[in-house]
Amino acid sequence: MDSVFSQLSVLGSSLVLIFGLILLWRRGVTAYISAFTWQSVVLSAVTVVVAYFGNDHELYWVAVCLLLLKGLVIPRLLRQMAHRFAAERELEPYVNTATSLVVSGLLVLFGYAITRPLVALSQLPTRAGMPLAMGLILVSLFVVISRKKALTQVVGFLMLENGLALLAVLGTYGIPLIVELGVFLDVLMGFLVMQIFIYQIHETFESIDVEQLNRLRH
Amino acid sequence: MIGYVLEIAQAALALLLAPGLVGLVRWTKARLQNRRGAPVWQPYAELAKLFQKEVVVSSNASWLFRVAPFVIFTSTVAVTFLVPILAVPLPFDGVGDLLVVVYLLLLGTFFLSLAGLDPGSPFGGMGASREMTVAALAEPTVALAIFALALSAGSTNLGQIVARTMADPAAAVSPGHLLAFLALFIVTLAETGRLPIDNPATHLELTMIHEAMILEYSGRYLALIEWAAALKLLIFFSLLGNLFVPWGVSAALTPVTLGVAVLSLLGKLVILASVVAVLETRIAKLRLFRVPELLSVSFVLALLAVTSSFLLR
Repeated sequence: MDSVFSQLSVLGSSLVLIFGLILLWRRGVTAYISAFTWQSVVLSAVTVVVAYFGNDHELYWVAVCLLLLKGLVIPRLLRQMAHRFAAERELEPYVNTATSLVVSGLLVLFGYAITRPLVALSQLPTRAGMPLAMGLILVSLFVVISRKKALTQVVGFLMLENGLALLAVLGTYGIPLIVELGVFLDVLMGFLVMQIFIYQIHETFESIDVEQLNRLRH
Repeated sequence: MIGYVLEIAQAALALLLAPGLVGLVRWTKARLQNRRGAPVWQPYAELAKLFQKEVVVSSNASWLFRVAPFVIFTSTVAVTFLVPILAVPLPFDGVGDLLVVVYLLLLGTFFLSLAGLDPGSPFGGMGASREMTVAALAEPTVALAIFALALSAGSTNLGQIVARTMADPAAAVSPGHLLAFLALFIVTLAETGRLPIDNPATHLELTMIHEAMILEYSGRYLALIEWAAALKLLIFFSLLGNLFVPWGVSAALTPVTLGVAVLSLLGKLVILASVVAVLETRIAKLRLFRVPELLSVSFVLALLAVTSSFLLR
């Protein structure tokens, strides 16, 4: 039973990580958004798995909230934004695709290295997935700093959120529902604020390329 | 003794099935594109025709050009003796493990590029340089992806990897195996010259890789090279099928299990051929400069596969 549980949770976490890595290879903004959507769906499936095997009924609600917020609402808002800035593609990130893939592979290895003591300490069947969650967090941070378009940076930030949620679910079988709800509200608010920022950036510079912000210094 | 007979039977079966596999991919693709398509046995007829044709060799070509087809063909046939296609404890398992398999395949690629360069035609040189770029990026991924399996099996021997996965079915869905499967699948497309890396259906494209190298060949030389290319496709498909989903491979050498092994091999080949055909219908060829990016995707996947099977042992 436990081995099935640990296999499933590790499998789910690998899928979540793979959807994070897909970002680095795809270029269109819509591809970013669909990768994020699928990642959120898999994340909520992992949450359901943990809820079922860990016998924690609150987690079902968390999974439902996850699916609604990150699987439906935020992707829809993102798509609206992408539609509005139709011609904007992430053509030239600061780091080219091949290098960023290798860098993110190394980041995942680094994630394995830093979670080693954590995994050694933990007795949970889900512990093997924690390095992957940490890897996703590092990779998303890398996405945020290496992309130029504000929209793709926002997707990177949302993936970072997914990584944190995955780590929480795997490491502690989720945090109390009330805290989780607070986090969801936080994500939604943060996302709305960022949306306003993006519209403002687009208004001022006629582009969502954040490199343009350098012009503000003069 | 029976083991050696089996080895020869396995190699003969692979040689016999290979052109049919290529024909099956072409036929499925044609049906998906609403064409009637040539029958599945068309490649056999093509090979028979080519073996009867006269050989025309450029006056600039050296002995290398004449030797290369035989090296390519024999090195590929040698691989069929080492790969578990039908049964697992094979007598030649001790002769070569996965490293030998990888480098025998690379030997064929190397001679193919040499032969492309030899007559001095511009297309051949172009194809050879591209093939080397792709091979240099794909080869480490093949080794790394199979290493991920070797780590969890505790041996680089292909037969033992298969036996180990059969003994422990839960390992087949472990993240290491799945990541390695994805990586090896992408590399299979690259190594056998399928879309999105190379277009096998055309001779007249500036972006061709495999076809550009063999443009100068004719007659039986061309037949040998084409046959070897088909055999390489079959080898990679049976690696994908038997290393990751080993059920059906015969562990005991009785007629019944061997019959099951042949049938399951056919089933796996048909499934993989349909997957490749669907994929080739759905996607367009990549720009040449994006090919290294795709291959680095598969390299990172293989790296993660090795890491996770190393740390989750």
